[in-house]
Amino acid sequence: MLQSLVHVCLAGISAGMFIWLVASGLTLVFGVLRVLNFAHGSFYMLGAYLCFAVLKAMGGNFWLGLLLGPLIVSVVGYVMERYLLRLVYHLELPYQLLLTFAMVLIFDDLVKMIWGAGSIGSPAVPGLSGSVSIAGREFPVYNLFIIAVGPLVALGLYGLLEKTWWGRIVRASASDREMALSIGVNVPLLYSGVFMFGAWLSAVGGALAVPYVGLLTTGMGEAIIISAFIVVVIGGLGSLKGAFLGSLIVGLLSSFGTRFMPMLDMFLTFGLMAAVLLWRPQGFFAEG
Amino acid sequence: MGESLLDVRMLNKAFGTVVTAKDLNFSLYRGVITSIIGPNGAGKSTLINVLTGLLAADSGEIWFQGREVTNEPIHRRVKQGLGRSFQVVNVFGNLTLFENLAIPVLALKGRSKDMIKSIARLKEVGEHVEMVLTQVGLLDKAYMVARSLSHGDLRLLEVAIALAAKPRLLFLDEPTAGMNPVERSRILETIRQLSQTGEVTFVIVEHDMDIVFSLSDRVIALHKGKIIGDGSPEQIKMNPQVREVYLGEEVA
Amino acid sequence: MNQYWKYFLMLGCLGALVGIGFVSGPFVLYLATRIMILSIFALGYNLLLGRTGLLSFGHAAFFATGAYGLAITSIHISAHPLLGILIGVAAAALLSLCIGFFCVRHTEIYFAMLTLAFGMMVFALIWNLRSITGGDDGLYGISRTAISLGIVKIPIRNDYQFYFFVLFFFMVSVFLINRIYSSPFGLVLAGIRENHIRAEFSGLSVKAYRLGVFTVSGAFAGLAGSLSALLESNVAPFSAHWTHSAEPVLVSLIGGLQTFSGPVVGSVIFVALREVLQRFTYNWMLWFGVLLLAIIIGFRGGVVGSISEAFRRYSRP
Repeated sequence: MLQSLVHVCLAGISAGMFIWLVASGLTLVFGVLRVLNFAHGSFYMLGAYLCFAVLKAMGGNFWLGLLLGPLIVSVVGYVMERYLLRLVYHLELPYQLLLTFAMVLIFDDLVKMIWGAGSIGSPAVPGLSGSVSIAGREFPVYNLFIIAVGPLVALGLYGLLEKTWWGRIVRASASDREMALSIGVNVPLLYSGVFMFGAWLSAVGGALAVPYVGLLTTGMGEAIIISAFIVVVIGGLGSLKGAFLGSLIVGLLSSFGTRFMPMLDMFLTFGLMAAVLLWRPQGFFAEG
Repeated sequence: MGESLLDVRMLNKAFGTVVTAKDLNFSLYRGVITSIIGPNGAGKSTLINVLTGLLAADSGEIWFQGREVTNEPIHRRVKQGLGRSFQVVNVFGNLTLFENLAIPVLALKGRSKDMIKSIARLKEVGEHVEMVLTQVGLLDKAYMVARSLSHGDLRLLEVAIALAAKPRLLFLDEPTAGMNPVERSRILETIRQLSQTGEVTFVIVEHDMDIVFSLSDRVIALHKGKIIGDGSPEQIKMNPQVREVYLGEEVA
Repeated sequence: MNQYWKYFLMLGCLGALVGIGFVSGPFVLYLATRIMILSIFALGYNLLLGRTGLLSFGHAAFFATGAYGLAITSIHISAHPLLGILIGVAAAALLSLCIGFFCVRHTEIYFAMLTLAFGMMVFALIWNLRSITGGDDGLYGISRTAISLGIVKIPIRNDYQFYFFVLFFFMVSVFLINRIYSSPFGLVLAGIRENHIRAEFSGLSVKAYRLGVFTVSGAFAGLAGSLSALLESNVAPFSAHWTHSAEPVLVSLIGGLQTFSGPVVGSVIFVALREVLQRFTYNWMLWFGVLLLAIIIGFRGGVVGSISEAFRRYSRP
């Protein structure tokens, strides 16, 4: 019993870390640009496909794919922000949301056109293959690696936002846009930068998922964006700390749910999301 | 001073350390045009927001026509006759002037829940709307879209929407800001007329001291959330404390 | 466009719809039936989105409630189509009343997220309650038995008969929703969209009206759902999924959010274009995405809004 509990926990945490990589960018972009981006899940999917494409083209080196794939995605993100999103900042919410939704349709079909609709198998990672014994059962090394990556990214984001000049600008504009304008922040540049960075984070998540999920589908973007929505809602829209804890909760909830009450798993997760929205719309972990 | 319409008891409101209402006690009386004055940040707009329900009071009681309304939602206060206009133009931008006024009139006549009948068939609503449009002199623009009005006309519409709900007590937040002299005299004339018939009691927040002193029967001066002067325009002009914190700046 | 033109146009459309029912082949008939069902869904939905300014991602749940309501009634209680539709619509209205009660506390992004969450809770229930809903298989074998009204029996089994059955509900929906648009309630909704604070200060309980329109649109979604269950003779759980909620949004946007007939025109374009695109390419979503982008960026009035704007400019001397 105990060993299965440990393993369910570990599986939940590693699932949560993928959601975290998507949710962190999503909430960062929402905090600064005030746009909830449906296509953020598509960046995750694009990250996975591009990582895989690079990996195949460059003779199977996963690490090169992890490096190059997300970089290409952040360029895609730049194009989307600069030439599409920028045109709708002044419009009402439905138009903004639907523009990002249109991008989901476009990205999905583009990926299908380029790589085909079927699923692509995925490779083992040099250096991180195999498994170790934890609590008497085998656990893949790669999953442990993912569990380590999540907090590292969180720490990196913390350092970036709290300790650097750029981070201060980002935080200032997230809390007060007028003020940021008045002290002469180059807002268009800031928006592009944050959006690219968010896209990159999400794509890193996607690239890291290549060896984890075992197969790639265009549906993976939609699946994760809904989880990420739940997470940023639970954590409070715009809060990174909340998003991190929210990712852990949703990851654990789904792994425990699948293990112990598969009937109620999805219902409970969305129920939690609704409950937080109703009774604590500022998020679960917001102070005050 | 006649029958009191609104009674405020020990009202408090603060935003963090900024106190905008401190133990306020006062009453507003039927038929008495009252102006609320005070320097910027004295708490005038906040007071209106609390009295009309846009903001909740921290403590204290608000009574309107003998009923406590402290925790009543905005629309219930409006139904009882507590109305307001806004400092910044706050109209239904993409609707026609007729529709702008029809919305409060429908609420007033209790017809707003009807899903089947056409508005065009509701004669009483149409007549009331046209009456208010005539009062403010916008009848000829009834089928223009609000967004396309000039600034002065928008200000008139702003007041007209508030009037259309047939309030007993109406707070006007800087009603003449940005109006040209013609529009200004029209709105002031409307206020005087409606006030004389006793239909509507006006409470006005205004910066223009000429208007304050020529229009009002009573002036309340606020400073840092407290009443520092309350009386006839003459009494306020003479009040040393008011002169010091507010008028002084202008007189000097 | 003046009143007479509008009536003329409406009569023309009605004539064309009746004509399709008599002369067209089974494929066109099937498409036209689907267009009408989608129109009912979108017309009701646009009361919420275009008229009141609320974006819901949960209306697929009400569509599915109507569909499952009819299916379950038809399988377990009585195959009378009118009873099934009645129960389907009532269940959808009741559910949207309950869900709406919570959702209307918020607006904007929070409203959209709440409707998404509640809608997906309904999806999760349908997915998991296998014994009632058939789980991921859905429910099969819904028969279109004749409508017995006392001594008269109206058959709807064949596609032509069923087409006119749907046409009847389509006309009733168009009539009702058209009335709502020109009613006091409809004006209040537009007022709430334009300025909800001012609406509140006009003496209106904004939440109550939001709940009202949420329920009305939920009921029409339920009607569309139960008709589609009869058309397809089965119901599938993914009809409750949030991606299905996006359909009336797209349709209304293509046709024109601020227009009454937008959702109908949008439905025609959506269904027809999809059929055409699927002939030539597997990637019809891509083209819809591009079409959406074009509308959001360049033609926010949608097809109807843009055409009537052009018409107005042209006719102005």
